[in-house]
Amino acid sequence: MIKAPEPTSPGLASFRARLVLAMMLVVSAVATAGLLFAQHNVAANVRRDFQREFQGELAALHAAQEVRHAMLAERCRALARRPRIHAALEDGALDLLYPSARDELQDVMDGARRPSPEPGEYSLHALFYRFLDARGRVIAPPDPREAGELGRREESQLALGALPDLPQSGYASGGDGPAGGRVDEIIAMPIISTESGEVISAIAVGFKARELGGAGSGIRSGIWLGGRLYLPSLAGSARESLEADAARAVAAADETEGGREVRAAGAPYLLFCKRLNPGSLFAPAYEVSIYPLADSLARQRALVWEFAGAGALLLAGAFGASHLLSRRLSKPVERLAVDSEENRAQRYRAEAALESASRDLQRSARFSADASHQLKTPVTVLRAGLEELLAGEYLSPEAREEVSALVHQTFRLAGVIEDLLLLSRMDSGRLQIEFSRLDLAPLIEGWLDDLGALPDAFGLRVGSEHPPSLWISGEKRFATLILQNLLENARKYNRAGGRIRISARAEGDWAILAIGNTGQPVAPGAREHIFERFNRGSVGENVPGHGIGLNLARDLARLHGGDLRLARSDDDWTEFEVRFRLAPAPGDAPGPP
Amino acid sequence: MRATRLAAFVAFLALPAAALAQAAAEGRVTLAKPPHAPVMNKRYGIVAYGGVLSPFPPVAVVYLEGSFARPAPEPRARMVQKDLMFVPWILPVQAGTRVEFPNLDDTYHNIFSYSPAKRFDLGRYRSDERPIPSELFDVPGLVTLRCDIHEHMRALILVLDTPHFAVSDADGRYRLVGLPAGRFVLKAWLDSRTTLERPVLLASGATLRADFP
Repeated sequence: MIKAPEPTSPGLASFRARLVLAMMLVVSAVATAGLLFAQHNVAANVRRDFQREFQGELAALHAAQEVRHAMLAERCRALARRPRIHAALEDGALDLLYPSARDELQDVMDGARRPSPEPGEYSLHALFYRFLDARGRVIAPPDPREAGELGRREESQLALGALPDLPQSGYASGGDGPAGGRVDEIIAMPIISTESGEVISAIAVGFKARELGGAGSGIRSGIWLGGRLYLPSLAGSARESLEADAARAVAAADETEGGREVRAAGAPYLLFCKRLNPGSLFAPAYEVSIYPLADSLARQRALVWEFAGAGALLLAGAFGASHLLSRRLSKPVERLAVDSEENRAQRYRAEAALESASRDLQRSARFSADASHQLKTPVTVLRAGLEELLAGEYLSPEAREEVSALVHQTFRLAGVIEDLLLLSRMDSGRLQIEFSRLDLAPLIEGWLDDLGALPDAFGLRVGSEHPPSLWISGEKRFATLILQNLLENARKYNRAGGRIRISARAEGDWAILAIGNTGQPVAPGAREHIFERFNRGSVGENVPGHGIGLNLARDLARLHGGDLRLARSDDDWTEFEVRFRLAPAPGDAPGPP
Repeated sequence: MRATRLAAFVAFLALPAAALAQAAAEGRVTLAKPPHAPVMNKRYGIVAYGGVLSPFPPVAVVYLEGSFARPAPEPRARMVQKDLMFVPWILPVQAGTRVEFPNLDDTYHNIFSYSPAKRFDLGRYRSDERPIPSELFDVPGLVTLRCDIHEHMRALILVLDTPHFAVSDADGRYRLVGLPAGRFVLKAWLDSRTTLERPVLLASGATLRADFP
């Protein structure tokens, strides 16, 4: 791989800068959007969790209150069934009513007189009790100390327009203390005569009003009654500033679910409002619960800062990462740019080389062709002259022999020129094989005949082995040339009394023609050079030839789609093998070759 | 019925007096049929309709009104608590009678009354309480008995000025014997709100037939 040099071109530098910028923009946009979304989600979740937590706590407190209320109501119901109470009411002994009730409620009232119950304790002890007469008015107790002392205002709140058929719960406010006075919870239980089946009276028992807010829960709750908020656990100014909000909450208490955020004495609160005595004959009372939001808001603020910090870190990291990434991304592009420079240079060089080579080749091919043509004519002229000399009468027999050898040499010269011409045509790619179906067998036979006709200095034995016909695809002229060259070599490089053997066979899609001869084998080191042009091996200069025969034969075989190779050369035997493509026999159905 | 038998027994006790006196009265009080059998209260003996207490099945207390001398020995009567019920559920007594309240149940009872004629509270006691708790009823009037423990228990004691009274049977038939001769008012108490009366002229040795109404 080519080492990427530092980019020096202004184009590359600006590419990298633009990449970094784009990535930073994308990264920062994605990161900011993600952070905002996450922050929004988390904040909403926190708020929802908070409300849920608050409502859960409130619900738990309410459940505890309901249990207490149910116990108080059961206590009152039991009281309303007591035979003495009934006897006092039914047997005309109203003077015994309060004393009887005192006896019955002794345990309950005793507790109320305890100095001070534990704060937050859900006391079942009654503060007072009053009976209502048939018209719902309070029957004054003979001794208010026994039945729990009440202010006139509070006692008047116990009266109902009529006796209720069902238990009623309500609240009565008494006194105007520094903490907004006192609110008592009332349960009014109808007393149904066992004699007439009618409601003849009711007993209203007052209990210490519940006060929500367990340890650590943060919930504080008060009671909204008669246009005032009783919330002893809140300081006066804060309570007063809450009163207006509570009034609004109370007005909407029947429609709204969930809390509303309010401010009291500068601090934020979540305010919940709930009707305490729906359907009661007593004045409507609402529970107003507040939960300080300061902690939650602080938590949310902290969360926002955490998010901002995390976002900044994330962005910084993302910028770094995008910078690195863009470097990495731009590197291959830079490398590509460098590579393409190199490539272009190389390509130019290669093209130039190719062009010059091609020019050389064409020049050499033209030279060969020109040379061949220029040589052929003088050789023909020379031969004609020599043959004329031979035809004459004035040559001595010695001279005649000499001239005859010269004529023979002109034939060789013409052959060499022919071969060179052929080679130059092949080299310039102008040689086209005109393929046709060709039977090798008569070619072999014809050349064996020709070989037999040649003057034979070595006394060679020639044998052949081939099928009666072997059809190949090729051009007769060039196939003959290949065979002729190989046979000539087999003869030239033979030894005295040696053999030549020609065999042909079909093998798969190929026709294999093998020409072997006895004689000194090709030296191992020379084998790879024997197909080179003008290479005559180490055979010795006394062997006739010009060193282009094998080269020409192999090029021709390859042009035929086949090949020529040295099959073996050892132990007094050298064998060349040519392969041609088989062609279908004339009788065969034409098909793919 | 036990109550009827008891009433007959009371009448039987008065027989020697009847032998001395000359007059007697008998007849039939038409008893109101309750609109339906108050199944729930059947065992209570005293039922309430619209604030009116009446015995069930209905019986009447027939008595001769007049001024009669208090009996020298304090008469005694019994109001038994058995099976979480009072027996009988209507007990007429002459003013000055001491009524005992024996508890024949295995549980506590706490008999009390807030009635204007007699307020008392026996407190809680069991069957082995001795002496048997008792109260003296010396003001005429209707006394409603209740039990503080068993809110359903109810009985009536009708305190009368007269020693001449009888409880009718379930058909309303009564018989008073040993009555003094003369003009009197014969009354039939039916329930806490209804007392029928009619003037009678009792003749010595004769039995007056007096039906209500």
